[in-house]
Amino acid sequence: MARESLGLLQGTVDVLILKTLSWKPLHGYAVADLIRQRSGGDLAVEDAALYQALHRLERKGLVESEWGTTDGNRRARFYSITADGRKQLRTNVAELRRYVSALFRVLEPA
Amino acid sequence: MPRSFRFPFRSRSRIESEVDEELAFHLAAMAERLRSEGWSASEADAMARRQFGDVEYTRQYCRSEDTRREQEKHRMAIAEETTQDLRYAFRSLRSAPGFTLIALATLALGIGANAAIFSVVRAVLLQPLPFATPDRIVRVWDQNPSAGIEEGVFSEPDFNDVRASSKLAESIGGYFFADGQTGLDLTGNGTPERLSAALVTPGFFETLRPRPILGRVIAADEHEVGHNRVVVIGYGLWQRRFAGNPRIVGSTITLNGDPFTVVGVMSPDFAYPAAQSLDAWIPVSYFGPDAIGRVRGAHFISMVARLGPGITPERFRTEISGILTRLSKSYPDNPGWNSAGVKSIRESIVGDVQRPLYVLVAAVGMVLLITCVNIASLLLARASTRQRELAVRAALGAGRGRIIRQLLTESFALALAGGALGALLAYVAVRALAAHGGAELPSAGGLHVDGVVLAFTVLISLIAGLLFGAMPAFRAAGPALERSLRAGTRGSVGAQGQRMRSALVVAEVALAVVLAAGAGLAAKSFARLLAVNPGFDTSNRLVVELHIPDRYSTEQMMRVYYQRMLATIARVPGVVSVASSKNLPMQGAGESTTADRLGLQDVPTGQGAPVQIQFVSPGYFKTMGVPVQGREFEWTDRDSTPEVFVINQAAARRFWPGENVVGKVLHIGKEQVQIVGIVGDMRQRGLGEPVDPTLYLTAMQNMRVGMDIVVRTQGDPLNLSRAVRNAIWSMEPNQTIVKVTTMDLLLGGAVARQRLLAWLLGVFGFIGLVLGALGIYGLLAFSVSQRRQEIGVRTALGAPRSAVLRLVIGQGMMLTIVGVVIGSIAARLLTRQMQTVLFGITSGDVITFVEVIAVLVGAALLASWVPARRALAIDPATALRYD
Repeated sequence: MARESLGLLQGTVDVLILKTLSWKPLHGYAVADLIRQRSGGDLAVEDAALYQALHRLERKGLVESEWGTTDGNRRARFYSITADGRKQLRTNVAELRRYVSALFRVLEPA
Repeated sequence: MPRSFRFPFRSRSRIESEVDEELAFHLAAMAERLRSEGWSASEADAMARRQFGDVEYTRQYCRSEDTRREQEKHRMAIAEETTQDLRYAFRSLRSAPGFTLIALATLALGIGANAAIFSVVRAVLLQPLPFATPDRIVRVWDQNPSAGIEEGVFSEPDFNDVRASSKLAESIGGYFFADGQTGLDLTGNGTPERLSAALVTPGFFETLRPRPILGRVIAADEHEVGHNRVVVIGYGLWQRRFAGNPRIVGSTITLNGDPFTVVGVMSPDFAYPAAQSLDAWIPVSYFGPDAIGRVRGAHFISMVARLGPGITPERFRTEISGILTRLSKSYPDNPGWNSAGVKSIRESIVGDVQRPLYVLVAAVGMVLLITCVNIASLLLARASTRQRELAVRAALGAGRGRIIRQLLTESFALALAGGALGALLAYVAVRALAAHGGAELPSAGGLHVDGVVLAFTVLISLIAGLLFGAMPAFRAAGPALERSLRAGTRGSVGAQGQRMRSALVVAEVALAVVLAAGAGLAAKSFARLLAVNPGFDTSNRLVVELHIPDRYSTEQMMRVYYQRMLATIARVPGVVSVASSKNLPMQGAGESTTADRLGLQDVPTGQGAPVQIQFVSPGYFKTMGVPVQGREFEWTDRDSTPEVFVINQAAARRFWPGENVVGKVLHIGKEQVQIVGIVGDMRQRGLGEPVDPTLYLTAMQNMRVGMDIVVRTQGDPLNLSRAVRNAIWSMEPNQTIVKVTTMDLLLGGAVARQRLLAWLLGVFGFIGLVLGALGIYGLLAFSVSQRRQEIGVRTALGAPRSAVLRLVIGQGMMLTIVGVVIGSIAARLLTRQMQTVLFGITSGDVITFVEVIAVLVGAALLASWVPARRALAIDPATALRYD
């Protein structure tokens, strides 16, 4: 089992998490669930990698966490995106967009 | 009010349990969904874990990320709070300019004095010696117990025998060196110059192992006659005279008219046996037996030895003493020299200054301590007026630790600011000291304020900050804080605070007593030293030191030159009279021997007593202003006329007590010598040293090359120095002149160390006195302001003015007396350590103590008087309405 995700993958996980949290504060399970749903099941982030990313992002000050209660009335740790996190998300999305379009200009020339 | 509220930080266990709970929640939620999709409970749990990935690793990873985040938050909060505290400290110090100014000024003095003295101690006592493995090198002295000589030097035969017999020393070396006495004339290639030189024996360099920066040291076989015209020159001479030319090694220079090959240039840090710098080292064998006696009676070699591994100095001393005892038995013409003294070379170099320096270290330590006590006392007083402000901060959520930290930040800021000023003071003081007192200190060349000194300054500043800040801070943040908040009124200092300040004032007074006692003793000792009658006139005496050049090689030529020299100087306008001695007072002891060695047969008492021999010119005593009974030497006393003596009163007292010996004929060996005069005692070896029995011979009958010329002048002697020098050079252009000075300066130089000590201790004592008085004043002034009401009531009820005065002054005196008693006891114990640096006074001198106490009590009375006047001026009506 890979202990650290690959560089590209790790960056991708970070941007997926930030995007998901940009809608509303969520706990880890919900983040994983939402990513799976939005990608129609194509993008499955490993849970271990997800939690590692969440705590790493929190250390970097891109997200922050607070304990709250779920709809099912259970205690859970809710993450929300910070102002720095939103800035990071915009940068990452722009970068990814450039990267992917460059990639496809090569793969599928118009 | 700065923001001092903050979230409590999460503990390690809290971080861990939160990560556990979060992961457990995820696994539970996943398992629940799997169950709802139809899996059994145990299957669902297992699948949830499998799907998750490495749970344990993730747990550790998340914990460590959270911990790091927490630590960062903590650090940032502390940095922010410290910035806050500093800003706050700055504002609060600015709002109390009086306090801040006093605290800064006293701290600057206290810390500056410590930094300066530390620089000196570092340069003199802590700097490594420029020898290889100096711990194994010792100085060895020849001792003659029956003559009372403890630090004697060796004769060459004794030296050679000891060197050959010792088995415990790895190597033994010797040298002949006397500061300003042993020297060589350098001629050719520019103006003639008198070089300071050490004449060394085989083994000298092997023992000390200095590293020349160019070339090599003198080799073992180069001490042999025929090969011994070799010289190692000093770094200073190399730079000054040869412009640092590396090709000097191997070249030839002219010393005392003879060609010498330069074999090496010494590194700048090595000047042994000189204290500061030395120009040349040559083999002592260069001077033949006609110049320096090589018989067992002629003692002139100082010995150094490198001990073998594991050999203690004591064991070595026993060995050498044994050898000397054997030698003194085998050679009856050399009696009494039968034991040895051994000291580490470090001790032999710095031994003299060690004690005065430690006294100074103790004194500056006390100055800093008293400064701290004073500031602590001021802070306590301030704390009582700041209680309200602190209480408000506490109410706004600042914890006890937080308030203590804030108060300590204030103290540290104050201490560091004081330390910065102190470092500046130290810089100035050390430069002044290096310029003026440098000659009094061995290896003062390294005396400067550097990084180590600055680090020391920062360190003692922080210690000082903690010393004066801790107690007031803990007190201010203590239980009293809550009380004052509840009371909600102007903070009133409790009985406890007053007691604590009283204790501090007592401590201040006690420290002041110790400092002032030390200062008083040093000042009196110095005054007594100055009051010593040197036995000769010092004013209007010019001193010129020179040596008759080697080319005047016969006694006859030297005599002619000697007489011409004095006659030439006598003709210079403004000269009253001129004379010469081989050693003027303060310029060395002269040649020492003992009465029996001399062959003095007709002495009823004191056969083994030490005797100094001086070689002087006719008219010496008249020129020096010394009373003569009988007559002094005349130019008519010559080698062709009967040999005559002049003795001093100490010799008359020692050898012929109660007898008038003028005209007495002595039998010395086979010769008959008449005592023609008795002269007053002169302090030859120093003002603080006893006068030795001395025999004076006229140079006309016993020629010596050394001339210390004394010129009695009309008016300022230094005005004549140029004219005298020119007169000498007009007579002999190649005459080197060692130095030109005045008798007053020679005498001043002889007491310079005592003066420095007295002066420094005086300054420290004064600071102590002022701070002690300030402490008393501060406490009483505060106490009066606190007791306004009480005093008002007493006055209203008809208490006489005297009662009010007694109340205030009594309180001040009470503290003073307790402090004085404690301080006197401490001073009595501590000043005992000063005994060896004092002259003419014992460390427990009662009169000095009484005077010091009187001055302190006087200062305390004065300090109490001002607040007492203020108490008297209290108007009962206002005081009662107040508050």
